[in-house]
Amino acid sequence: MNNPTDEKREVLLRVEDLCQYFKSGSTELKAVDGVSFQIYKGEVFGLVGESGCGKTTTGRSVIKLYKITSGNVWFKNARIAAGTRKLEEALHAARKEGRRRAAELQKQGDAAGAKAARRQAAQEVKRLQQEIRQAKYDDEHCNHAYAAAEAEAVRAEYEEKKKTCPADEAEALEKEYKEKLRIASHERITNKIQMIFQDPIASLNPRMTVRDTIAEGLIIKGIRDKKYIDEQVYRMLDLVGLVPEHAGRYPHEFSGGQRQRIGIARAVIMNPELIIADEPISALDVSIQAQVINLLNDLRKQFGLTVLFIAHDLSVVKYFSDRIAVMYFGKIVELADSDELFAHPMHPYTRSLLSAIPLPDPAYEKKRKRITYNPLLAHDYSQDKPSFREVLPRHFVLCNDAELERYRREAEEQ
Amino acid sequence: MTDKKLEVKNLRISFRTASGKVQAVRDISFDLYEGETLAIVGESGSGKSVTTRAVMGISALNAIIENGEIFYDGRDLLKCSEEDFQSLRGDKIAMIFQDPMSSLNPIVKVGKQLTEAMLLKNRSRRRNARKEFYRLLKELCAAAKDGGAPNDYARAAQRFVRAEKVGTRCESRYRLAKQNAEEAHERLCELLLTYAKESETVIRTRCARILRYASRCADEFLPAFCTEEFEALVQKLRPSDARTERELRRLQQLLEEGLAAPEPDFYAIGFLRAFGGADADAGDAAEYGRRAREYCAAFDGEFLRMTAESAARSHAASVLKKRLALSELQQAAAALRGEWRREEIAPLAKKLAALVQGCIDPVEIRKESAERTFAPCVLSYCARYFAGERKNEKEERRYQKQTQRRDALLAKNKAVDWKVTPPSLTDLDAIKGSMISAVETLIGLYRRQTADDAAFDKESEARAIVAHLKELASQTAVRIDKSAAKRRAIRLLNEVGIPDAEKRYGQYPFELSGGQRQRIVIAIALSADPDILICDEPTTALDVTIQAQILELINKVKRERNLSVIFITHDLGVVANIADRIAVMYAGKIVEYGTADEIFYSPAHPYTWALLSSVPDLESSERLEAIPGTPPNMIYPPAGDAFAERNRYALAIDFKRQPPMFRITDTHYAATWLLHPMAPKVEIPASVTERIRRMKKEADRE
Repeated sequence: MNNPTDEKREVLLRVEDLCQYFKSGSTELKAVDGVSFQIYKGEVFGLVGESGCGKTTTGRSVIKLYKITSGNVWFKNARIAAGTRKLEEALHAARKEGRRRAAELQKQGDAAGAKAARRQAAQEVKRLQQEIRQAKYDDEHCNHAYAAAEAEAVRAEYEEKKKTCPADEAEALEKEYKEKLRIASHERITNKIQMIFQDPIASLNPRMTVRDTIAEGLIIKGIRDKKYIDEQVYRMLDLVGLVPEHAGRYPHEFSGGQRQRIGIARAVIMNPELIIADEPISALDVSIQAQVINLLNDLRKQFGLTVLFIAHDLSVVKYFSDRIAVMYFGKIVELADSDELFAHPMHPYTRSLLSAIPLPDPAYEKKRKRITYNPLLAHDYSQDKPSFREVLPRHFVLCNDAELERYRREAEEQ
Repeated sequence: MTDKKLEVKNLRISFRTASGKVQAVRDISFDLYEGETLAIVGESGSGKSVTTRAVMGISALNAIIENGEIFYDGRDLLKCSEEDFQSLRGDKIAMIFQDPMSSLNPIVKVGKQLTEAMLLKNRSRRRNARKEFYRLLKELCAAAKDGGAPNDYARAAQRFVRAEKVGTRCESRYRLAKQNAEEAHERLCELLLTYAKESETVIRTRCARILRYASRCADEFLPAFCTEEFEALVQKLRPSDARTERELRRLQQLLEEGLAAPEPDFYAIGFLRAFGGADADAGDAAEYGRRAREYCAAFDGEFLRMTAESAARSHAASVLKKRLALSELQQAAAALRGEWRREEIAPLAKKLAALVQGCIDPVEIRKESAERTFAPCVLSYCARYFAGERKNEKEERRYQKQTQRRDALLAKNKAVDWKVTPPSLTDLDAIKGSMISAVETLIGLYRRQTADDAAFDKESEARAIVAHLKELASQTAVRIDKSAAKRRAIRLLNEVGIPDAEKRYGQYPFELSGGQRQRIVIAIALSADPDILICDEPTTALDVTIQAQILELINKVKRERNLSVIFITHDLGVVANIADRIAVMYAGKIVEYGTADEIFYSPAHPYTWALLSSVPDLESSERLEAIPGTPPNMIYPPAGDAFAERNRYALAIDFKRQPPMFRITDTHYAATWLLHPMAPKVEIPASVTERIRRMKKEADRE
């Protein structure tokens, strides 16, 4: 797929042709169907769409909460999730095609040709089988390779230190080294992706104190140093605008905004590189929403976080994101820089979505004309199937050839 | 100015909880006019839902209504008995809830939920209408007694009921026929669209169905389907295989013409049928309709004259009584201002109640709330005052006793590990104030009513009475059975924009999408034809596109039915879309109150500024101005302005005294000390002015 390839910036997350199907009865629900995008380091990537369009599922698939059906997810140049459905389908097709061609050639009396075709098919099948095996291996063992690399780094670091270390500290150093090694060898690459959930009431365990909730990640990671954990917890509380006294309290003693802050602290303490924020403010009160947005903005600047921001409130997404992808029924229909997207929406669904945003302005609201989107009327895909194309630099739309022409022409006119 | 539909006055509601009394709503007042949308904006816990739940009479069990009145149609909803409320709730005042999934019953089909209320209310509605009809009639007759002939009058009025009955029978036949014609027409259009592509067998089966419908659409008031040409066409098409597209097109044309004919006035037709005698025999349908209208109008003119006479007489009598009552009321007001003693005040209250009750004009249509609710209010204030006084004494004694015991122990240098809780007292002054203000309002009202006799327009009053009588008669005559209810439900589903209404009727809520579920909820709310629609965050659980659709729907329904809407939300964008007037609530109080333009373009309260600047719009890129802190704990509400803690512009007085409502324009009020003439001049924050400027520019450009 042709995604923006900005050479200068480092790609942190790359999602390729992600499909996530759910079984529902005898049929399958295609929650996410062929989604591809890249997130660069340090940017906020917004994902918008109506409820049920698969934006939350995309977020959850990226963090491996679901086993993905097909496609790849690359994080820091390592494949962390891979699905095999499409490869398996290709495998079956290759087998069938090989057999059919061989039979055809046989019928024509070309025995040598048939044999060659069979061999060719077998090669193709073997290649695909290899790929499937690799995908399954990567999907299951992505953490191992990462942990091994981390452990190696720790080992190298301490080899150096051990050489220069005075004899009386050697024992302490050895102990520290063992501890670090233990933690490093349990490290997971997926720890570097953390999630903030929508509902701050449902996502906090009511029977755990704030300290337990925030420290849980560190403990699972294998850290046993109580003092270090407390230190970190207090630092996080301070960071998100709570005070250390709050650490001993339970979630029900907090207001909605404070609870969401706890959820953020819990995510940030793991020192993540990517945060998936799944509608972090839609369950909050108006006056609190701004506090949380400001907090996320500060954290992002302070730590250089990368954020995948999932929301349906378009004005907040516009405010917060650098680039925005619009989803409709499991597909990304448009992807562009946020200013560009709002200034020149091209896909009719994006237009209808933008026309539905209510703004705090009565005069504007009286005049606002909502555009309705009906995919059957808006597109004619009977001949030419759509694909994801770059209409303008860094502006991608799901369209076919005729529409591509039209969008370009419209863009020029403006 | 249009009529006030609902009047909320000094409402004060608290909740009993384990940790203390939460003061959820503190002294709020607002009016709702006919055909307008009032939006109540505020964050959660500001008391907006609590207020509307009180209006619906569905307050939580631990709610205490401490003070206030909610007037609707001459009744005080807070003092209504549950039986009285049954006839209002859902019927006159309907509500749409936030989450459509939890407000629909998941195991009952949509159709059943829609028709349930119609079928259940059917009988009681008819009975109530009949009762009210005869009561009004009796009063009118009594007023007419010394002038006209009451028996003639009553007999004439009873004709309404008979006419309605006959008319309804005609109408239901007409509707059935028309529905068949519509069905045939729709199917025919579908068939003709794809006529060329379909095979012969498909056309034959579909034609057979169309003709079945077409053969059932003859009715005396649909003359187009009784013509010989139409019948011949249907007959000709039926057996033969030689039907051509041309003939089908002709049939479609005929059906269209027939359906386009205007609907006759069935009431008038019923009237002519029932009382016309020889004239009632049928003729040409259009001619018949005209004759019926003429006949009806002649009767109406005569009846209107008689009604006007009675109404004027009844009004004059009541004005006379009111003049007499006025001086007594003034004396009573003076007495009430002084010391309250049980032996004086209790009989006085009883006397006043009886006096005012007697002054009410029994035939008036626009009911004066203050007058009608006076008697029960005054009696209950009186009872509550004396009960409260006794309770206060008791509590005081208990407190003193316990304090003495504690002090005695302390004096002996013993460690005491308990505290004495202060007594929870009834606010006697507030009750007294309410009583006095009720009497004063009534005095003002009586002064106005008795001052000018000429102001009474007996013509319009009589017209209103006749309209009311007719409506009651129609309610008495309309009998809703299952099939009628289904027809109405499907009409409603179409009205709220649900495609395939027939199919949806038999589905369960989980089979529908979120937006459609909310439409169903709206349809249920509309099924009883309410006066007031309360929407409690109806779009918060929905996403933007669906939200926009639902808002459009509510606006459309409001316009068509002239509903009054109370719309609760915290989304300022939604408010701008839907509201005519806005009340901003914070910590149980209304802090600003004005028309939509005033609130958005010239906000006056710091909380409104903060709300406006804390939401990003599409152009904002600077840091958001978040409101620091959280709302106050309403168990211990602050002494001064509740928003002072979070307010950058708070003055010293804000922490000490609650600001009153300052008037800015006739429609715009705000409760902030900044508007006091002595307050320092504070500019609206830059981010808000910037946004308003942007909005205005946008408006000018287009």
